[in-house]
Amino acid sequence: MTEPISRWSAVETIGRGVRAAPALRTGFGLTLALAMVGAGGRVVIPILVQQAIDRGFPADGVRVDIVTTMAVVAFFVIILATWAQRTAVARLGRRSEEALYALRVRLFEHIHRLSVADHSEERKGALVARVTSDVETLAQFFQWGGLAWLLDGTLMLLVAGVMLAYDWVLAVVAFVVAAPLAYVLRRVQSHLSRAYDKARSRNADVMTQISELVAGAETLRVYDAGPHYAAQVEKASHERSNSFIRAGTIGAFLFPSGEVFSVFTVSAVVSVGLIRGPASGLTAGAMVGFVFLTYRFLEPIAEFTEVLDQTQTAVAGMRRVLGVLEIPVGPPEPEVPVALPPGSLAVTIDRVDFSYRSRGDSDEPPVLVNVSAHIPAGQQVAVVGETGSGKTTLGRLIARLADPSAGTVLVGGVPLTRVSNADLRTRLTVVPQEPFLFEGSIAANLLFAKPKLSMADLERAIDELDLRDWLDTLPDGIETEVGQRGTQLSAGERQLVALIRASLVDPAVLVLDEATSSVDALTEVRLSHALEKLASGRTTIAIAHRLSTAARADRVLVLDHGRLVQDGSHAELVQREGAYARMYDAWVTATSAG
Amino acid sequence: MGEGTDIPATRGRLRLAFQLIRALVRHHKRTFFTAVSGAAVFAACTVLSAAVVRLIIDDLINPRFNEGSVETSRVVTVLGVLILVGFVRAAGVVVRRTWAGRTTWRVTETLTTEVIDRLTEQPAPWHRSQSTGDLITRAGVDAEAATAVLGPLPFASGVVVLVGLSSTWLVVTDLPLGLAAVAVFPLLIALNIGYQRRVDHFYNTAQDELGKLSAAVHESFDGVAVVKSFGAESRETERLAVIARRLREARLGAVRLRSTFEALLDGIPTVVNILLLVGGTYRVRAGEMTVGELASFIYLFTLLVFPLRLIGFTLSEVPHSLAGWNRIRDLLDQPVAPDPALTRLVSDDDRVVLSGVRYSHDGERDVLLGVDAVIEGGRTVAVVGATGAGKTTLLHILAGLIAADSGSVSLPPGGARIVFQEPFLLAGSVYDNITLGAEVPPDAVDVALAVAEAQFVHDLPSGLATELGERGVGLSGGQRQRIALARALVRRPAVLLLDDTTSALDPTTEAKVLANLRVALSHTTVVAVASRPSTIALADDVLYLDEGVVVAHGRHDELMQLVPAYRTLIEAFEHDRAELDAQVDGVTAVQP
Repeated sequence: MTEPISRWSAVETIGRGVRAAPALRTGFGLTLALAMVGAGGRVVIPILVQQAIDRGFPADGVRVDIVTTMAVVAFFVIILATWAQRTAVARLGRRSEEALYALRVRLFEHIHRLSVADHSEERKGALVARVTSDVETLAQFFQWGGLAWLLDGTLMLLVAGVMLAYDWVLAVVAFVVAAPLAYVLRRVQSHLSRAYDKARSRNADVMTQISELVAGAETLRVYDAGPHYAAQVEKASHERSNSFIRAGTIGAFLFPSGEVFSVFTVSAVVSVGLIRGPASGLTAGAMVGFVFLTYRFLEPIAEFTEVLDQTQTAVAGMRRVLGVLEIPVGPPEPEVPVALPPGSLAVTIDRVDFSYRSRGDSDEPPVLVNVSAHIPAGQQVAVVGETGSGKTTLGRLIARLADPSAGTVLVGGVPLTRVSNADLRTRLTVVPQEPFLFEGSIAANLLFAKPKLSMADLERAIDELDLRDWLDTLPDGIETEVGQRGTQLSAGERQLVALIRASLVDPAVLVLDEATSSVDALTEVRLSHALEKLASGRTTIAIAHRLSTAARADRVLVLDHGRLVQDGSHAELVQREGAYARMYDAWVTATSAG
Repeated sequence: MGEGTDIPATRGRLRLAFQLIRALVRHHKRTFFTAVSGAAVFAACTVLSAAVVRLIIDDLINPRFNEGSVETSRVVTVLGVLILVGFVRAAGVVVRRTWAGRTTWRVTETLTTEVIDRLTEQPAPWHRSQSTGDLITRAGVDAEAATAVLGPLPFASGVVVLVGLSSTWLVVTDLPLGLAAVAVFPLLIALNIGYQRRVDHFYNTAQDELGKLSAAVHESFDGVAVVKSFGAESRETERLAVIARRLREARLGAVRLRSTFEALLDGIPTVVNILLLVGGTYRVRAGEMTVGELASFIYLFTLLVFPLRLIGFTLSEVPHSLAGWNRIRDLLDQPVAPDPALTRLVSDDDRVVLSGVRYSHDGERDVLLGVDAVIEGGRTVAVVGATGAGKTTLLHILAGLIAADSGSVSLPPGGARIVFQEPFLLAGSVYDNITLGAEVPPDAVDVALAVAEAQFVHDLPSGLATELGERGVGLSGGQRQRIALARALVRRPAVLLLDDTTSALDPTTEAKVLANLRVALSHTTVVAVASRPSTIALADDVLYLDEGVVVAHGRHDELMQLVPAYRTLIEAFEHDRAELDAQVDGVTAVQP
């Protein structure tokens, strides 16, 4: 992630978080005031007991009438406080859920608009984690920690206030004796979080090993390694148990330490109170009230340390979420778009450089260096090169899935930066290397290209690519479910769906990232036939992994380490010394039967 | 999940809960009962602490503030008891929590071990009939879910003791007031249980929606290139927003319920306390009760509010745990399937003999329709055929992964080892991935690596000790295949089965590997599924399969001449190249 974000302080992060999710701030003052009133309900009993003892049970007899009057007042206070607390909790919950929803949607939108360069394999997991687990830490915080801040925080403030009002000397005694508890709890808590971190990572180990044991069951079986690995998983599971037991043992001391401190604090308060006696203005009722208040005051402290920990986690989660929102969105929309000319379109690549940004240091080699080529409208071009030569990136730049670091890509004579996204997507289509299908039917996947199309449009497109006979082999024809990521279809069939999907857009320019995976012979025939039909009459840029594709193209561009090293027809390049001829020789050897 | 709503079956649920708990703690009874005793000590001390509050008021505060003085020894004694009871109560909590954790995790461990052992015992066909994700869930998440009830259980049992002791103490201290207070307990418990059931419904829904959201987000971000290339960013955002809205609604349902309940659970006991105070005032006036007794009454009642909540919470864990437990039982109750590896015969010579081998998927789709073949020891045989001809199935039968429906398979002593098309590497060192726990002579690994052309291993940061990521992440497909090959070679099998193993290698490396195999393993029979003409050409013999039967078995060049279908197939493999050659020839012809 970009650097400055990690340097934001907790306060700054919270400030920015509230700005990113303004629902959090709406009416927060009122929520806080209601919570205060609600907390009042929880000090009613100590105050009532104090009042009853001092005024209801004077030495000369019991005054039932006074106690009853006070009880009635207390009853109404409780009703009010209960209502206030309910309202405060509901308001906090509603605001936070609304804020989280808005934050999620902002993230979805923002991430979808990020450049493909920001969606690299290694960062994909992180982006998913931002909208799922990181937002979830915030949700957990609002459900427990945030609520505790609201309820227990106001309660402790109020209790402290009442104690000070009764007798500031005793209050100070109570605070001083109880103070070290905060320190003890922080210490225990930090041990505890470390122990839990360790336990969680052990848990992850066990889960990984179990998934390997299951997924690799056949391998382990044929190498008689099952028992060996089972023993390893069981050992890991034993260690996991040990870690969790250890963490649990540390945690077991957290709440009882509050208990121990309360008895010391109560003892101290009682002792000091007894020494000072009634002469100091202290009453028996206030003494009893103090005992009650001391327990009330210390009760939430142990929970509070857990809350502090959860708060830190939530702030860290918020920081990461904001970090994503800070990444500038991918190719920006032009302010004044220029419409693409009608009809077929030429593609011009003009002195284009590209390097992946946002990985911090710039010592990574550029992916493309000064690449220029003019592709006339209707020409069929193959781009070849070894893995890492930059050919896939070149395809992405032509499709404007990312913008070049320097130089310009022009389509139909218009620089891509001046073309509106909506315009471009109806005139240029990409068929990716590993076509991605969404879970659902083939029809639903086709409609992804243009949701407004009718079934008849889909059927026509299938016929135009001569894929009717293939579709008829599927159990439910066009309604066949493709499964998660299309895995119910073979790799070749997924490519067929992607070709039909692309044809529905009827683009002038087709960017084709050829698949590397091997495909059975029949599907191969269908694929190349459908491809030929799809490509004809369109400007086609094929990122070719097979030299047979290059051989069929009008023109071949050879990339080597990000530079365009050769440009010509297959027949010419084979005859010429160079990268292409070498690749060709290696390929001939591979397919030769001796 | 979801069972929380069938309230009529409460008695049945309770019985099930007891059965579940008995079954779970079976192996760890002592640990469990230690936790429960800790909880009982806690309960006893909670009641005692109320008695101490009474002493503080009646024996210390009252004499000092109403009569003028109190004996120091009395102060020391009472406060000493207060501190002692506090410590013992705290110790009870420590014991309860520690041992409750022990019980939970030791039981989880026991369950995990049982599941893992069973998974290991089950042979390949059984594994193929199961969903991988489902098995992983059962061994991992379900074992934890099943034991989730054990965490709060000792505390809940302690609460039962606490309610009993408190009731007794309250009633003994003052009968009418005590009875009034005790009557409130069932109300509070019922409120808790009712709330927990309802709120669980929302939490479960929210959890489901969260799972769906996370799956959809994964899918949507994985397909971001497609999303962008069709300009579907807004549509996708809306699709995810719909799921996020459902999540929000479920959470809001929980919020509404919870805000009311939390407030009531604070409010109701306070109101009861106010009533107790008024009632108590009459009792004090009648001289039936001291002020200290009244105050301790109120104090104890306040202490009970939180523990009572635990009962509802524990009961809410029961359906969840029961579901996990049932899924685990389900798995453990399945008998161990017969091992197909044991159906293979061991021959007394070095030949591999297949006779009348038939196989069909699920008894429906016929794959092999009577395969007969004799492969002489030490030969390298390429199994060739179109997609769906049954090549891989044949190899898997030889490997003992699946059993032929009929017919017989015999292998030479020394067995067969298969290398899969998609090699499976585990997280761990390269060395461990090759030996897979078997004891092998130190140089055997180096020899195997050399034959498999996997010397690149020595250039890895820590050589053989280099740790690989999950599924061998960090290595290329070809590197993974060569390690998988070394894994087979190190075991020196009599028969080596290669399922298109060398397909991810570049042609030069592939040729080297095959040449090495020939030299190093001159006595080893190699049966290889192959589709590259160059690979086929390197074999001694070709076994040509078509639609489940052996159509021809002989040398490649013979088959090319004598079997037209074989020639067509090989030509299809070479098709691409032929096309190129034609063009190159064309160019050559024009430019002499």
